[in-house]
Amino acid sequence: MTDRTEELPTLAVAMGDPGGISPELTARLVDLPEARDEARLVVIGDRRVFDEGARIAGIAPELPTVGDMETALATDGNVFVDLGHLDPATVTRGTAEKAGGDFACRNFREALLLAHAGKVDGICFTPFNKQAMRYSFPGYDDEIRFVADVTGFNGKIREFNVLEKIWNARVTSHVPLKEVSDNLSEDKILAEVDLTVRCLRRAGIDRPRIAVAGLNPHAGDGGSFGTEEIEIIEPAVARAKERAETEDFEIEGPYPSDTVFLRALKEDYHAVLTMYHDQGQIAMKMMGFDKGVTMMGGLPYPLCTPAHGTAYDIAGKGIADVGATREALRLAIRMARTARQAA
Amino acid sequence: MRPAPIALTCGEPAGIGPELAAKAWAELGAALPFFLIGDPAHLPARTPVVEISDPSEALRAVAKGLPVLPHPFDGPAEPGVPQPAHARGVIDVIAHAVDLVQAGEASAVCTGPINKKALKDGADFAYPGHTEYLAALAGVDRVVMMLACDQLKVVPATIHIPVAEVPAALTRALLYDTFRITHEALIRDFGVESPRIAVAGLNPHAGEGGSIGHEELDTLVPVVEALKAEGMGLLGPLSADTMFHAAARSRYDAAVAMYHDQALIPIKTLDFSGGVNVTLGLPFIRTSPDHGTAFDLAGQGRADATSLIEALKMADRMAHARAAAAG
Repeated sequence: MTDRTEELPTLAVAMGDPGGISPELTARLVDLPEARDEARLVVIGDRRVFDEGARIAGIAPELPTVGDMETALATDGNVFVDLGHLDPATVTRGTAEKAGGDFACRNFREALLLAHAGKVDGICFTPFNKQAMRYSFPGYDDEIRFVADVTGFNGKIREFNVLEKIWNARVTSHVPLKEVSDNLSEDKILAEVDLTVRCLRRAGIDRPRIAVAGLNPHAGDGGSFGTEEIEIIEPAVARAKERAETEDFEIEGPYPSDTVFLRALKEDYHAVLTMYHDQGQIAMKMMGFDKGVTMMGGLPYPLCTPAHGTAYDIAGKGIADVGATREALRLAIRMARTARQAA
Repeated sequence: MRPAPIALTCGEPAGIGPELAAKAWAELGAALPFFLIGDPAHLPARTPVVEISDPSEALRAVAKGLPVLPHPFDGPAEPGVPQPAHARGVIDVIAHAVDLVQAGEASAVCTGPINKKALKDGADFAYPGHTEYLAALAGVDRVVMMLACDQLKVVPATIHIPVAEVPAALTRALLYDTFRITHEALIRDFGVESPRIAVAGLNPHAGEGGSIGHEELDTLVPVVEALKAEGMGLLGPLSADTMFHAAARSRYDAAVAMYHDQALIPIKTLDFSGGVNVTLGLPFIRTSPDHGTAFDLAGQGRADATSLIEALKMADRMAHARAAAAG
């Protein structure tokens, strides 16, 4: 076997919802210099949908088409796997439809199976519409659940939000606010820290620095506005600090959540660990997270997508910005490379 | 007609309140007439003080120096060390300001920072803070806090309570009052004819139709719908994470958040100083800077007056809006 680190990482690109901007984004993605020079892409979808996206984007990327995965994997350079499963003439732009959900689910599933079998080094996908996914796959809860259902992977998968300067990991995600406190524990926080450190390392950051948010106003203000900081978060951070000494990372907190992101940016932290969904999402979205990347951490391979949605309102107009999709590709390339070097 | 001057309370004399008053006058001068209620002896040396005996004199005095309506305290202030003998004076200054604004001799009250412990120890002050004391003086039961900067006005429906206690605290009665008070204040004090108020959901994605929490369906939606039926311009409940970026903010005049950090995270992300505190629901205008007594900084002349200046400017804008609304 040749030295794999010399080769470009192979990434599966799953086409997302055809009713939104995914077709044009996929075409623009393939047309990027990174796509030509830094990775080998196996784009999965229907060639007619892709070509329609390229036409909308006003580009004609060079991309040979094959009919099956085996041929695709044996081909050098970027390649399109045409599953022939959706006629773009039947797509209603700007609408969540079952046919669109079927299309995106199938592409994503094929990409996951390739990655799970070790045939590709990572996955990027263009935006899905959750409603359309549910029409197609009634058990579709979110991407994490779908990945577990398709691949049988039973490890912990967590969503990370990634901006150029800061990552956000969270201890609880889509749970009611009422249940957040009961869902916090030292072990959960430590597990989250551990995964965040690993993912940051994989993204090329040798000595990750993490800021931890408190739960309550003013991080509890010494117990006046809640005791989770004293009882759970502070002990967890203390235990994490012990690990940090031997494992070469840094961690501080808990900090009041209204300024933890500002502090993190000012003091060059790489990630903020928040206790609940909106604690991180409000700040991240205000800092431009629609240009950011969502990365599913915990899998043996990187899985990245732009943070924004299907943008039904501008679909087909040729004005969709490929910026976040490009960042998703770059992150996947970086993480796939590090994983190879480590392998 | 020019509104009456703004009454600024000295707050805790051992803190940064008095020195900030001097800095605010140096910055604002005659452009924004206000007067300090407090002891002139607590001001930094060489502050150009003009003692006045009636608030109306402030309008002319402000061109020459900081107008001070004297309220003598028992002894000098020691920076960083509150004197028990001063506690009564701090409390009385606040009551004095309220009397003046209620009588129309001041157009608004802007409060300098106090230290609750010093007031409790020195004078058995029974209120958790300024706001509750002001509400008691004004005889109102419910007030709400608004945080305001140039880009955002946001009202947290609950404030200093643990996150775990927020859902139970969000009763229909509290929400009705919060929306009504906010709506009326936007009309009366901010010159908004038909206020548009964005309502944040409590849960991620505003509960996503009940799949991530029920408070939206059980409590928020019924209150919002009932008030909309009365003609109030409410939007929501909205997903809190997508309602604070620039494009979203252009669609409303103020936002109501369900808990402290849901309001504080966006305002501090836009304006690190946290903007200005405005108390809504009082019969008069009240603003305050968003910081405390800063005992560690007091007496050094280094304290930053930006927040107090913004609080005075906000009080002035609100006073003009209220005067215009009153015709």
